Amino acid sequence: MTESQVIRQAADGDARAIRTLYDRYAPRVFAVVRRIAGDDELAQDYAQEAWIRAIRALPSFRGDSRFSTWLHRIAVNAALQALRRAETRRKREAPFPAEIPVGPRGGDTLLQRRLERALDTLPEGMRRVLILHDVEGYTHEEIGDALGVTAGTSKSQLFKARAKMRELLTVLDGATEESGAEAWGI
Amino acid sequence: MGHLNAESLARLVDDAPRPDEIEHLAECRACSSELEALRAQTRALGALPEIRPPLGDWEVLEARLRSEGLIEEPGLLARLTLAQTPPWMRAAAAVALFFGGTMFGVTAASDGSPIAALVGGAEEPGMVAQAANLDDAASAVRVAEQGYVDALARYRQLLEDNGSSEDAASGDPRSRYAALEYLVAAGQAAVRQAPADPFLNGLLASTLAEREVTLRRISTRRGNWF
Repeated sequence: MTESQVIRQAADGDARAIRTLYDRYAPRVFAVVRRIAGDDELAQDYAQEAWIRAIRALPSFRGDSRFSTWLHRIAVNAALQALRRAETRRKREAPFPAEIPVGPRGGDTLLQRRLERALDTLPEGMRRVLILHDVEGYTHEEIGDALGVTAGTSKSQLFKARAKMRELLTVLDGATEESGAEAWGI
Repeated sequence: MGHLNAESLARLVDDAPRPDEIEHLAECRACSSELEALRAQTRALGALPEIRPPLGDWEVLEARLRSEGLIEEPGLLARLTLAQTPPWMRAAAAVALFFGGTMFGVTAASDGSPIAALVGGAEEPGMVAQAANLDDAASAVRVAEQGYVDALARYRQLLEDNGSSEDAASGDPRSRYAALEYLVAAGQAAVRQAPADPFLNGLLASTLAEREVTLRRISTRRGNWF
């Protein structure tokens, strides 16, 4: 069965077709949402919300873009909106955590774990831009649209975020152990 | 020119350096090394893998989708017909039925024991063949399931009456338990795929019951530790 057939069946509410789509794309959806949320529990809620939205919107999916791209946008928007709502409620700026949380990960390398941990500790604004640009490959214009900021602001946030990441990774590595390019095995 | 600050270096990951920056980077090992580290960091971020959602995520999502009416509840036809069942599942069912029937036949015929009398109880193929509608077919499935459970119970009882232990017939209970664990996991996965499939549900229920019986037998054999 082709993907478009599966999508059509899923749009008609076929549980097996929806499960097929979920099995295929859940890791990608969860990854982007998890990184934006910076928290496992929130990520699960946001990913669920993304799937609900996507399944609800399936009948309107016309195949102009790839399904994975379409779903990815929905997941990013769902996570960003949920974060904004949470921010509005709490009226808070993400505090810089004293401890570095370690989320469950499967099969990743030491470098990937360090990156994920550092991402989790970035302030939210920086994290969003960095994830959308460096992890997900969005352009600054696309980030501007998604976050409601200018492309210039996105750029400036990105440079700050990269520098902050570098600083965090150096702290995580233990400044005396590794420094500069050696930390990356280059 | 002094060292490049962190944000300038971060900018140079994407943008071309100005002439004065080129000059500085050529001379300053610390800045060029830091820029290389930032480039490596960016490459590594772009190569981060997907993350599998936690276990049970689908079940939660499925429940929400059902509660919001986004998943069609399967109708009676969908629940009972095998027409929509994937070929592999139909094949698995056929194989299971074939071997189940064969094993039962061999067991019954091997020693001429009264077990053979049970075969008479299975002489109701007409009920299945004559099922003219889904209700009749569903009823036949239930009767057949009950017949299987009754036959198994009777088989055990006769084994005991004849002085045979069930262990002798079914092998080491620990190995059996391990095998049943495997079947339970496979059955649960199959039922998640096809939650309304009567064959898979029946198979899972039987396997769970067998696992429980086997566990009890292991506990009994081991004796109380206190």
